Amino acid sequence: MNRHVLEKGHSAYPIGSAFKISPNRFQPRSQPALRYRRHLFQRLCLLGGISLILLLLIFPSWRAAVLPTLSFGLLASPNDLHLQTVRYYDLSEVQGTEKGWERGERVLMCTPLRDASSHLPMFFSHLRNLTYPHELIDLAFLVSDSRDDTLSMLSHMLEDIQNDPNPKMPFGEISVIQKDFGQKVQQDVESRHGFEAQANRRKLMAQARNWLLSATLRPTHSWVYWRDADVETAPFTIIEDLMRHNKDVTVPNVWRPLPDWLGGEQPYDLNSWQESETALALADTLDEDAVIVEGYAEYATWRPHLAYLRDPYGDPDMEMELDGIGGVSILAKARVFRAGVHFPAFSFEKHAETEGFGKMARRMKFSVVGLPHYTIWHLYEPSVDDLRHMEEMEQERLAREKEEQERAGSKESTQPQTPGTEDAMDSEKLQGSAKGPAAHPAKDEPVKGDSSEAEGAAIMDTVKE
Amino acid sequence: MAVARSMRRTSPITILLAAILAFGFICFVISPSSPATPEPATSQQRQENAAEHPLSPPTKPFFKSQAIRPDGHKAAPPVVHYDLNALTSTSHSAANGERLLILTPLARFYTEYWDNLEKLSYPHDLISLGFIAPKTADGNAAVAKLEKAIAKTQSGPIDNRFASISILRQDFEPPLKSQDEKVRHSMSAQKARRESMSRARNSLVFTTLGPATSWVLWLDSDVVETPRTLIQDLTGYDQPVVVPNCFQRFYDKSKRKWDVRPYDFNSWIDSQTAQNMAETMGPDEILLEGYAEMPTYRTLMAYLPDMKNLDTRKMVALDGVGGTALMVKADVHRDGAMFPAFPFFHLVETEGFAKMAKRLGYEVIGVPDYFVYHYNE
Repeated sequence: MNRHVLEKGHSAYPIGSAFKISPNRFQPRSQPALRYRRHLFQRLCLLGGISLILLLLIFPSWRAAVLPTLSFGLLASPNDLHLQTVRYYDLSEVQGTEKGWERGERVLMCTPLRDASSHLPMFFSHLRNLTYPHELIDLAFLVSDSRDDTLSMLSHMLEDIQNDPNPKMPFGEISVIQKDFGQKVQQDVESRHGFEAQANRRKLMAQARNWLLSATLRPTHSWVYWRDADVETAPFTIIEDLMRHNKDVTVPNVWRPLPDWLGGEQPYDLNSWQESETALALADTLDEDAVIVEGYAEYATWRPHLAYLRDPYGDPDMEMELDGIGGVSILAKARVFRAGVHFPAFSFEKHAETEGFGKMARRMKFSVVGLPHYTIWHLYEPSVDDLRHMEEMEQERLAREKEEQERAGSKESTQPQTPGTEDAMDSEKLQGSAKGPAAHPAKDEPVKGDSSEAEGAAIMDTVKE
Repeated sequence: MAVARSMRRTSPITILLAAILAFGFICFVISPSSPATPEPATSQQRQENAAEHPLSPPTKPFFKSQAIRPDGHKAAPPVVHYDLNALTSTSHSAANGERLLILTPLARFYTEYWDNLEKLSYPHDLISLGFIAPKTADGNAAVAKLEKAIAKTQSGPIDNRFASISILRQDFEPPLKSQDEKVRHSMSAQKARRESMSRARNSLVFTTLGPATSWVLWLDSDVVETPRTLIQDLTGYDQPVVVPNCFQRFYDKSKRKWDVRPYDFNSWIDSQTAQNMAETMGPDEILLEGYAEMPTYRTLMAYLPDMKNLDTRKMVALDGVGGTALMVKADVHRDGAMFPAFPFFHLVETEGFAKMAKRLGYEVIGVPDYFVYHYNE
């Protein structure tokens, strides 16, 4: 039957031959030649493999080319480093708008620090309280020429904040930059505000700010917020408040609280001002490298200062055009910095650092405004004179108390203490407070009120580089 | 008898194996022992240098996968310390492992430019690239070509890959649509063009300059030929700002051979004439170089080299520089030296940059006998 089918050439499956191999039939062994060929084949494969491994050992650069093909992509090839190396950014998407928090605009917050460990706890409480979405804020710190434990303290506090169980607490990218500029100028209040030291100090500060910014500004940032660590009181919403004005550079008014005997409060930041004709004329007479520093009797500029325009009950949204600005708290669009505006560490139109920054921003046609009635409060650090005065007052008070006690002791039997004595004490205190600031010469007081402007004796000491 | 037996046991396969082994050893012995440049970084070293989080300096690659906190939230970005006191920029840049950022304002993409970049012998894992292109049709085309070239290089042999690459798109319109050679160089158009160029350069450098960068090399997208050791050579002068001479190859029809001619005239030593001109100018006017209408009589570096007697070690102090190829220590930019987009002492862009660097107390040096070549349009 089989034969019949095959002869016809129809079937490929001869029915009877399905079980051709049966144990009781003799099966001839495969041909030795075939076996030999198989061995040869195996050996060739082995050989090829060994030689390939050898070659890979010899030319490591081949590995990248050969291995992925051999592993058929099943193995995680060492070719893929699991690294993202290419980044694409469209800067027109990070222009900065008035409602940045709704559009997820990133803010770079820059803080220069030097021997600031005493201010850090206060600064971090401000940080934690900021209402701008934390994950949109990148923090950048520059620790320079510090002799205290600013750096280690900062690291600990940053670690804590990043590992906070509250998922809304951690911030974005955090960079701590260490760089010493060989600060020769002492940082204590007294010398910090001395006129002679100012120009060079400002140039070093400018350098520090530029280093911090250039190392941490990313193409993702829409805004840059500069904030000093020694701000004592500021609204939690400060970033949003300044942002709402949608100006290229915005600064609030900076004052500081004072003890009662010094008048209770005082304008602190005198670097925010509008240009005046007098100052422009003065600038023309100065040497190319001279730096005008505002707030000192040496240069009478008659400029309108942001600080003096404050009305505690004024509209906090009021704006004022500025030419020079102070650095305590600046919100600027990142595009200002991208355009090249920075803190000149040289004399730019006779100004340096933040004042020069304001000037340069104006030169490049960016808007620079200050908010005269929106105030933040700088920490009050008593000057040496203040401390001496306070000590004197304390001693006076103790002496008086002792006297009182003695008097009270002697008169105890005759008459009880009258309220009049306390009144007398108060009036004495008031006298002291009136005397307090007036007793100091203008130069010793770090930041002067109107007096610095009023004293018009312009000493044209050009401070050279 | 014994010999024959041993011969019989030695199969041809064994001999073949021995031959291959021998070949291998010979290759191993002959292959050039450690080249002059330091060993390229292994993949492991590259991974160690990478940033943990995408929020990181663009000069670093970052890991694609991100850590997760035990409570299921994405881990917050880490606190990263950068010690810039330890950052050096020295004449032994490659040996010290100093990182370099090559910045290119991308006008057009030339394959020759990319090939030249790939051939640079400085360890590629120390090189980061930054590009900025305008948001125009030309810019789109250039970026598309660039991305293609990047994809090829960054998935190719590991040693050829660059550490990281950032591509930026400008947030302002270029003043001129035309990149045509004649229009581009007309004097009236120059000021606007160079101010826009300054903004592009500043945007590029201040957003991509990382905390680990030691050097910045400005290289225009139409510089198509440089020595392979360009970076080692220019850093070797150990100067804050170094500019080589930018020439152009052209076919001299009269002599019937290829020749070179000066291209970049923005590197110069100032002259009294130019200074006098500047004094009479208004605050918003600028001095330009290379225009017959405005003879400045400055000493141009382009004309300094004596082609018969070249000495690449020769250095001259300059007052203005061109930007076709420009090596800058990162510290100069960090101190604030930028490309003024406004008349700065009557200078703009790279020339203004030289002025600003000098005002910050840095030397500006030109090497007249060291050449890079510009594309011939």
